[in-house]
Amino acid sequence: MFSTETFMVLVPALPLAAALFVGLFGFKLLKERSHIPVIAALATSFLLSLFLFGAVQSETSQKRAGASVGVEKLVRLWTWADLNDAYRLGEGEQAAQRPFSIDVTLRADPLTAIMLSMVTLISLLVAVYSVGYMHGDPGYPRFFAYVSLFVFSMTMLVSVSNFVLLFVFWEAVGLCSYLLIGYWYEKPEAAAAGKKAFLVNRIGDFGFALGMFLIWTTYGTLDFHDVGPGGELVSATSPDEGGQVAVQGVLGQSRLEDPAKGYVGGGVALAICLCLVAGACGKSAQFPLHVWLPDAMEGPTPVSALIHAATMVTAGVYMCTRCTPLFAASPEAQAVLAVVGGFTALLAALIALTQNDLKRVMAYSTISQLGYMFLGVGTGLLAGIGAGMFHLFTHAFFKALLFLASGSVMHAMGGIIDMRRFGGLRRIMPWTHLTFLAGCLALCGVFPFAGFYSKDAILAAAHDRGHDDLVLLAGTSLQFSLYTVLYYAGMFTAFLTAVYTFRAYFMTFHGETRIPPEAGHHAHESPRSMVVPLAILAVFALGVGMVVTYYTDIFANFLHHTPSLAFSGLAAESHGEGGHLQVEALSTVLALAGIGAAAYLFLGERRQVEELSLWMRAVRLYRLSFYQLSYNKFFIDQIYNALIVAPLRLLANISNWFDEKAIDGLVNLVGRVPPAFGAMLRPLQNGLVQFYALAMMLGLVVLIGTLLMWPAS
Amino acid sequence: MDEVQLLHRFLLVGALLFAIGLVGFLSRRNMIVMFLAAEMMLQGVSVSLVGWGRFHNDWGGQILVIFILAVAACEAGIALALVLMLFHRSGRLDVAVWQSIRESNQPKFVDQQLPEEPLTIEHWPVLPHAGVQPELPAEEMIHRSHV
Repeated sequence: MFSTETFMVLVPALPLAAALFVGLFGFKLLKERSHIPVIAALATSFLLSLFLFGAVQSETSQKRAGASVGVEKLVRLWTWADLNDAYRLGEGEQAAQRPFSIDVTLRADPLTAIMLSMVTLISLLVAVYSVGYMHGDPGYPRFFAYVSLFVFSMTMLVSVSNFVLLFVFWEAVGLCSYLLIGYWYEKPEAAAAGKKAFLVNRIGDFGFALGMFLIWTTYGTLDFHDVGPGGELVSATSPDEGGQVAVQGVLGQSRLEDPAKGYVGGGVALAICLCLVAGACGKSAQFPLHVWLPDAMEGPTPVSALIHAATMVTAGVYMCTRCTPLFAASPEAQAVLAVVGGFTALLAALIALTQNDLKRVMAYSTISQLGYMFLGVGTGLLAGIGAGMFHLFTHAFFKALLFLASGSVMHAMGGIIDMRRFGGLRRIMPWTHLTFLAGCLALCGVFPFAGFYSKDAILAAAHDRGHDDLVLLAGTSLQFSLYTVLYYAGMFTAFLTAVYTFRAYFMTFHGETRIPPEAGHHAHESPRSMVVPLAILAVFALGVGMVVTYYTDIFANFLHHTPSLAFSGLAAESHGEGGHLQVEALSTVLALAGIGAAAYLFLGERRQVEELSLWMRAVRLYRLSFYQLSYNKFFIDQIYNALIVAPLRLLANISNWFDEKAIDGLVNLVGRVPPAFGAMLRPLQNGLVQFYALAMMLGLVVLIGTLLMWPAS
Repeated sequence: MDEVQLLHRFLLVGALLFAIGLVGFLSRRNMIVMFLAAEMMLQGVSVSLVGWGRFHNDWGGQILVIFILAVAACEAGIALALVLMLFHRSGRLDVAVWQSIRESNQPKFVDQQLPEEPLTIEHWPVLPHAGVQPELPAEEMIHRSHV
C-alpha cells in the first residue's frame, strides 16, 4: 500500500480525481468551496512527491561513486496499442515487421522526482493564492477544475516513460493552457490569445511529432526504458543483476552503456534533435515561436504564474534534458539549441526593457530566462545541463513569486496593470512590495539569492564550453567560439535583466503614490490567502539557491543519477568544480550595475528617463529607433502577420469563396431539380372544384378503359 | 320482354341518370345544384344495381339500394350543412369563391365577363301632371322606372 510504486501512481491520480470531482460537482454542490478538494489533492500530491524524492535519493546514495548507471523506478499500469506487426521504415534489414506497443509506464528517477516536487509545490501555493485572487468569480469551480487537470497533465508529463505518452501529455498541458488563457472567454482578447497560444504550439508540436516518427524509424521503439524478452520492464539498475534486454529503450541503460554503438549520429541524429528542438521551442516559447507567451498573460494571473512561468513552459527544457543522449550524438543540434536559447534570452530581455505592462515585462523575462535554460542544456556539458535544470528549479520559484505579486498589485489596482498609471505602492502594499523585491533580487542574480547560483552555473558552463571549443578564425589571429559569443550574450542579458526588473520594481513601488481611479476603495493589501503563498515563495526565492548549493547535492550530484545523464559519454566531459570566480564576479557586478542604472533612471523624478529614451531613440536601425523596435517587440508579430497570417487568410478567403460559389452552387443546382419538376405539375392545383372532379373522372375513364382494353390473361 | 332487354333498359336509364348527373356536377357552380347532381349520379348507380339484382334474381341489389338511400340521406344532411356554413361565410353559393385552396403561386381564376348587352333606353310618354301625385316609396319608384 505505501510502496514507492503506489506513490508514483497517486501523485498524478489525486489531481485528476480532484479535477473530475470539481468538474462534475463544482457548480451544483461545491460552489465557493470548490478549492477544498483541489488544495487537498495538491497538498497530498506534494507530500507524496517528497516521499518519492526521498525514496529515489536513498537509492542514489547506495550507488557506488562514479558509477555510470542511473537510478530509475518503473511501474507499468497497462499497455496501450499493442500491435505485433507494425511496419518500421528503413533500409535493408532494418525494414521489418516490428512489435509496437505503448507502455503506460510511470518512472521515478532524480529528474522526475525534482520536477514532481517542484510542480506540486508551486501548484499548491498557486491554488492557495487563487482562493483569494479568484474569489467571487462566476467560474470559480471551473478554474479549480482546470488547474487540477493541469497539474495531473504536468505530473504525468514528467512521469511517463514513453515518447507517445510524453506527446499526449505535452498536448494535454497545452490544452489546459488554452482553457486557462481563455478562461474569461467573453473577453475577445483572452479568446484570441488562447487561440494564438494553441496554434503557435501546434507548429512546435508538429516538429515534435516528426521527431517522434524519426525516433521510431531509427530506434524501433518509443519507450525510454528497456524491455525484457518476456515483456517485463528492465530498469537501469537491473542490468547489474543480469536482466535480459529484448527491446532496447531509446533512453534505456542498454543503449547508454555504449553510446557510440547505441545511438546513431550524423544527419539522422541532427534531424531528430532539430525536430525535438522545434517542439521545445513551441512549448517553451523560444524564438521564433515565442510570440504566444506574452499574449497568454490575458489569462488569470495565477495561471500565468503556474503555467506560463513556472511549470508548463519548462516542459521543453525537461524534454531536452531527458533526451540528452540523443543530443549528445549530435553536437550541431546542441549548438542550435544553445544559439536559440542565447538569442532568445537577449531578444526577450531587449523587448522587456520598454514594455509598460507589468505582466508583459514578466512574460518577456520568462522567455529570456527560458532562453538561459536552453543555453545551459545546449552546452552539452553535464554541468551545463544540471545548471539548466537548476535554473528551471529556482526560476519556478522566483518567477511564480513575481507573477503572483504582480497579480496582487493588479488585484489591488482594480485590474490595471499598466505601470505608468500607478506608483509608490510600497506604502499601501508592504507585503507585496517586500515579496516582489525578493523576487527581483532573485531574478537579477544578486548574491546570495536563488538566481545567482543557477544563472552563474549556466554562464560558467557556457564559458567552459567556449573555452574548449576555441577555434582560430580563418585568416586572422582571433580566436573564436560560438559558445564564447553566447557567454557574452548571456552576460549582457544578465545586465539587461537587472535593468528591466528593477525598472518594473521602481515604477510600481517607488516614486509618489499614484492609484488609478479604477482601483476605487480596493487599493489595500491583498487578503491573507494571497499574501501567505507570496511569503513562502519569497523565502524559497531568496534561500533555495543557497540551500541547494551548500547544504544539499541535488543538482551537483543527485540529478546526475538520472539514466539520461549518467552515461559515460557525457560524464567524461564534465569539468571539476571551482574556478568560476571570475564569471560569478562579472555577473554580480553586471547585475548591480543594472540595478544602479535602473535606480538612476527610474527613481525620483524620472527626468533621466527622458534622456534614456532620447538616447534610445537616437540609436537607429534603418529609420527605426531602437526604442521603437523594442517597444514594438521588434515587429515580430507584424512580420508573422504579413508573412504567414495574411497569406493564409487570403487562401482561406479564396477557399471560402470557392466553397460558397462553386461547390454550394453545384449542390444547390442539384437541389433545384425536384422543385423544377414540381413547378411543372403545380398548375394542376388551381383550386377549382370542377377541375378536380374532371381530373378524377378522366382518371377513372383511363383506369376503366385500360381495364377493358387489357387483354384478358 | 325478356330479362336481358329489361336489364338493358335499366342500365340505360341508370347510365343516363349518371351521365346527366356527371355533366351537371362538372358544369354547374352552384353548390346546391352540384350536390343535387351528385345525388343524381348516385341514383343512376342505384337503378343499375336494382336492374342487376332483378336480372340475377337476387334481392341483394335491392337491399344495397335501400342502404344507399339511407346513407345518401345522411350524406345529404351533412353536405347541406356544409353548404350552409360556406354560404354563411361568403354569402354566396358559388363554389369558385373557394378557390384559395389552390397553390399559392397559381393565377386566380377570373370569370370572363359576358359582353354587355346595349341598354336600350325606352321612352315613355310623359303625361302632364293632373291632380295630386300620389306619394310613392323610393323603392317602388325604382321598380316603376323599369316597368
